Amino acid sequence: MDATLYENLIDICSIVMLLISVMAIASTRMGKLVQLFALHSLALSALAFIVAWYTGNNHIYIMFALTLVLKVYVIPKFLEYTMDKISIEREVEPVIGIPGSLLICAIMMMIAYLVTEPMLDSLSTLGRNCLAISLSVVFIGMFMMSARRKALTESIGLLLVENGLFLGAMTISHGMPLIVEFGVFFDVIIAVVIIGIFAYRINRTFKSIDVSNMRRLKD
Amino acid sequence: MIDVELVILMPVVAAVLCGIAPRERAISWISIAMAVVGTAVTFWTCGPVFLDGTVIEYSLWYVDGMSAFFMMITSTVALMVSLYSRNYLGHEREEKALDAVSEKVYYVYLNLFVAVMLSVYTMSSLGLVWIVIEITTLISTFLVGFYRDEKSTEASWKYLIICSVGITLALIGISLVYASAVGVVGDETSALDWKVLMAAAPFLDPAILKTAMVLVVIGFGTKAGFAPMHTWLPDAHSQAPTPVSALLSATLLNCALYSILRFYTISEIAIPGFASTLMLLFGFMSLFVASMFILNSMDIKRTLAYSSIEHIGLITIGFGIGTETSIYAALFMVMAHSLTKPILFFCAGNIMQQYGTKDMSLVRGMGKKMPFTATMLSIGTLAIVGMPPFAVFMGEFTLFYAMVDSGLWMLLALAVTLIIVIFAGFALHIYPMFTGETDKDVHDPRGFTRHLPFVILTAGIVFFGLFMPEQMSNAIEGIVHGVFGGAL
Repeated sequence: MDATLYENLIDICSIVMLLISVMAIASTRMGKLVQLFALHSLALSALAFIVAWYTGNNHIYIMFALTLVLKVYVIPKFLEYTMDKISIEREVEPVIGIPGSLLICAIMMMIAYLVTEPMLDSLSTLGRNCLAISLSVVFIGMFMMSARRKALTESIGLLLVENGLFLGAMTISHGMPLIVEFGVFFDVIIAVVIIGIFAYRINRTFKSIDVSNMRRLKD
Repeated sequence: MIDVELVILMPVVAAVLCGIAPRERAISWISIAMAVVGTAVTFWTCGPVFLDGTVIEYSLWYVDGMSAFFMMITSTVALMVSLYSRNYLGHEREEKALDAVSEKVYYVYLNLFVAVMLSVYTMSSLGLVWIVIEITTLISTFLVGFYRDEKSTEASWKYLIICSVGITLALIGISLVYASAVGVVGDETSALDWKVLMAAAPFLDPAILKTAMVLVVIGFGTKAGFAPMHTWLPDAHSQAPTPVSALLSATLLNCALYSILRFYTISEIAIPGFASTLMLLFGFMSLFVASMFILNSMDIKRTLAYSSIEHIGLITIGFGIGTETSIYAALFMVMAHSLTKPILFFCAGNIMQQYGTKDMSLVRGMGKKMPFTATMLSIGTLAIVGMPPFAVFMGEFTLFYAMVDSGLWMLLALAVTLIIVIFAGFALHIYPMFTGETDKDVHDPRGFTRHLPFVILTAGIVFFGLFMPEQMSNAIEGIVHGVFGGAL
């Protein structure tokens, strides 16, 4: 694969990830949101595959396989299972409306480009665009965590953040040491399972997983 | 060499034994016995490292003086918490607030939590430290949400989400450092090791390192309780079972602080002055926020939680000033705070179980009816606000001396003012609890294991307030030397 084709493919994958994040902010159905997350992870695994193929780095192939199996299939299934189990309504319930959210996303993307600018000189050409995109995805994920009411949307937000992070690590430095990536990966999986457990617990304690019910603790 | 594995293994074995113990009455004794053994193993392994400045380094592990210092504090506090837990949970069992299975689950999580906290200090790689710190959140979430009522569920949810997001920011910072270091070091697997990063620090890209440092300080700072990312901390500390609150305050915050310090060291070599300014900023913000809330909070455990934010703030300021004296003071305060705060939380536990409330305005007449707890609470309060002859006083005094030494008069005035405000807050809410009358049938809880931690910790803070063994002082100076990039 020659370098230009490689760069173009990487750019396409990362831009697809950014677009899916924005679509996730715009979606109003829980089921759709989970599917979008699966697609998001699919784009990430495609990116991992391209990086692995180009660099011939074995450990990135492992990351590709893990992402494909766990993030594209297992985690979305787990989220759907949890949703069935606590039988919530399928609405997302935004705190900030969809048009407002999209506007905020656009602003966050601009901030991401602004923040990464001082670092551009020391990065390869490939890293420049991807670093800003990765940061945008991270910001969008965090925004989803703060601007949506359901406990489960917060876990999807966290997963988006994590995907954005892997996008950054993969493109800037071809991932991190294998043991670190493994650890991070499994931490995230455990975090999602625990969030699921707590969503279940919140549902039982508060009779709803609307986290805005939780306003008891203050000074 | 399996020293390091042994240190981490002890609490894990304790957790397993607690999990499979056939008789429920034996569980708390197993935990205590294993904590004694674990503490002994930690001191046996870390003592020489701390005192002689040798370094244990093999496979994934890297234990130097700083790690050893923090590990010994963690083990000591964990032992105290195990001792106190026995009677505390026993009382809850009598009141039917707790069933046998929950008690078992509690001890399993408690010991696993200690094991994970100990392993934070042993990791050679920045990436592994991140992973382990995230695991501390995941395990302690269950301890914070232990009572499963509305309030503790809310607290644990907040804790889980805020700390997970915060720490993700730190991971972005770490991946940036890696991107910058891998080009300098060349070797992919070791590019995140502390030692390698220290050696490579002068060649790291300053622009990337600055961004990374901001992300790491905000990220791990969330976990350490820096204002304004501290919002999970008072909730988690007030809703967790009291022994766990003590553990969170005295040891968990140290874990995050330790990672920031390591990073600070690297950053100060590459871009002097940047990290220290950041630390000063967060230190003073924490101090300010803590003082305002301590003045107004009526909930005893929340007050203590804000007091932890205050001390983390002071320690951070010590690192921010960045002279040898100030860093010495900060390290000393880490120890002083970790030994003093459990006394106060244990007092709060006694009060909550007797009076059935955390509201300080509803607690009166302790002096007559609970003389032991009242004495301990009054000693603990004096110690934590920085009165002589206790250890925190020595720490704060050294810190102020360092400020004078660096000519930071404005900062000194600000810090002293805020500490006086905190003193007033404590005096205002704590001291009325001793006087007056109460209709409630309250008395000091009985039990040897319940009183022992008070005695040991008080002896400790008085000892370190009055004497400073020369070897220990030299050892801390050795750590300070390491922070300045000297031979580790």
